[in-house]
Amino acid sequence: MLEVKGLSKFFGGLEAVSNIDMTVKAGEIFGLIGPNGAGKTTFFNLINGVIRPTRGRVIFEGQDITGKKPHSVAKKGIIRTFQANNIFPDFTVIENVSLSCHLKTGIGIFEASLHTPGSKKKEKDVLERSYEIIKHAGLESFTNTAANSLSHGHKRILGIANALAAEPKLLMLDEPLGGMNAEEVSETINLIRRLLDDGLTILLIEHNMRATMSLCDRIFVINFGKKIAEGNPAEVKENPEVIKAYLGAGQNA
Amino acid sequence: MTYLLTSLFLTVCLIFLPHFMSGPYYVHVFIITMMNIILTSSLRLISLSGQISLAHGGMMTIGAYTSALLVMRLGLSTWYAMLIAGLFVALVACLTGFPFMRLKGIYFSIVTVFFSEMVVLITQQWESLTGGSGGIYNIPAPGAIVVTGLFNIDFLSKIHFYYFALFLMIASLLILYAIEKSRIGFILKGIKQTDSLAESIGINTIGFKVLAYSTGCFFAGIVGAFYSHYISAMCPDTFGFFYTINILVYMTVGGIEVFAGPILGAFVLTILPEITRVLKEFMPFIFAAVLIAVIFFLPEGLAGLFSRLIAFIKKIIRIKNA
Ligand SMILES: Nc1ncnc2c1ncn2[C@@H]1O[C@H](COP(=O)(O)OP(=O)(O)O)[C@@H](O)[C@H]1O
Ligand SMILES: [Mg+2]
Repeated sequence: MLEVKGLSKFFGGLEAVSNIDMTVKAGEIFGLIGPNGAGKTTFFNLINGVIRPTRGRVIFEGQDITGKKPHSVAKKGIIRTFQANNIFPDFTVIENVSLSCHLKTGIGIFEASLHTPGSKKKEKDVLERSYEIIKHAGLESFTNTAANSLSHGHKRILGIANALAAEPKLLMLDEPLGGMNAEEVSETINLIRRLLDDGLTILLIEHNMRATMSLCDRIFVINFGKKIAEGNPAEVKENPEVIKAYLGAGQNA
Repeated sequence: MTYLLTSLFLTVCLIFLPHFMSGPYYVHVFIITMMNIILTSSLRLISLSGQISLAHGGMMTIGAYTSALLVMRLGLSTWYAMLIAGLFVALVACLTGFPFMRLKGIYFSIVTVFFSEMVVLITQQWESLTGGSGGIYNIPAPGAIVVTGLFNIDFLSKIHFYYFALFLMIASLLILYAIEKSRIGFILKGIKQTDSLAESIGINTIGFKVLAYSTGCFFAGIVGAFYSHYISAMCPDTFGFFYTINILVYMTVGGIEVFAGPILGAFVLTILPEITRVLKEFMPFIFAAVLIAVIFFLPEGLAGLFSRLIAFIKKIIRIKNA
């Protein structure tokens, strides 16, 4: 589904992402791990077009999407979440999700400003769809709450709901469990499992090792921008390079 | 609903107001006020996307010269000329908007300042077309609108310009309000909050920013064109940097959060210097003081003050009734 060939990004002399080859298959959940500063977020930015690669190609469903703008990449079906902020803080939950339905509204600019009867019906469809997504994400009791006043964990879940509203074929999550308490973590893991059951393909960056190991079909490990291991969770866990990278970075794998 | 009633009430007031005015001077002040209201509200449309444009002065200048020259050189009807001037300004904004909107925050604002200064320089230097620094004079007034037996608007009197400005203001505000309440307004507000998220879920953020910019500048172009035919003279630096800054001050002081904010700000700050004419020389200082006071004490602007006052009065009434 997603094929990355020789992808590299240099920031001045720093090789943030260095010559990465990767293939993600349809329907699987693929983990991308590595110590802080390894280049994981930069890798996401390269795929969805936030930044242009120095070298390499990104191919999605057979189409070369290298260097395309994020909104065009989104149109092809790749939606990513951001590590820090994936919500519209001043909007309510339902407003967040219905804005994120943008690609699926089919409401053109002229229709939007003229309030045709057709656009009224479409607006109603959008609200219904948004509510379905909110329910699916387990946020229905916060439908009309301002996003800003949600708890940290619920903000992160809303971030995922926003991504889902854009109807991804490939969903890329950047540390979705970051800063969550145990209960929120298990809620989010259950949500990710439901999405996999629906047939979604997921590329996951996550520091929570237990979650990553239990969720992912395959795992890809990078350090200093370079690939150091790839395989199923059991293989990766035993890999001496991986153990060294994590111990060297002063973290517990 | 209260919005609708207030607007209707104010419109009726404005229709009858000239009959109570003691002279053409006050009519002039109100014309300028209504122009400033259009300018400030259209600037706010651009601000909905999170970008503060300082190109309004330049855009007005382009609109004013385009319309004046179309009439004086090509003999076009003033009405068409003003409309074409507005559309031409929108086109200029669209073409410059794509590169400009790649910049964010203060960088975008700075580039729009340079744009305005460029416009001034070009109109000064391109003498064969614009008459250079001396400006152009005897720009004709709009053609008369005559409905035999009913009315005859010949634009010989300031009152006629007053009603024209009133019409322009109401039409502009209706359009701007409709845009804000439409899905476009919704999308722009989203872009302002989290640009990167909007882009990554498939919104062409640059495209929508340029749309807002182009539409906002269209109104600046129309107002510029109106002004040139109203005053009948135009200089390259009539709408210089400080004119634009004033519009920005009206918007900030009025409050950017609600639609009525810029209207209130432009109204108060245009009328205020006129009724305190003695203090006219000190106006820049008073403006600065008002601006600083508003930024520090009323982050939501005068509009915020009003809604706070209303909330306060309601609370008092409730306490009294309890
Ligand atoms: N826009 C940028 N300009 C310069 N350096 C950057 C930029 N983005 C990331 N980096 C650097 O690239 C490296 C990888 O960062 P990042 O991809 O955020 O790591 P991770 O997400 O794995 O923690 C870091 O050293 C970071 O400082
Ligand atoms: Mg990161």
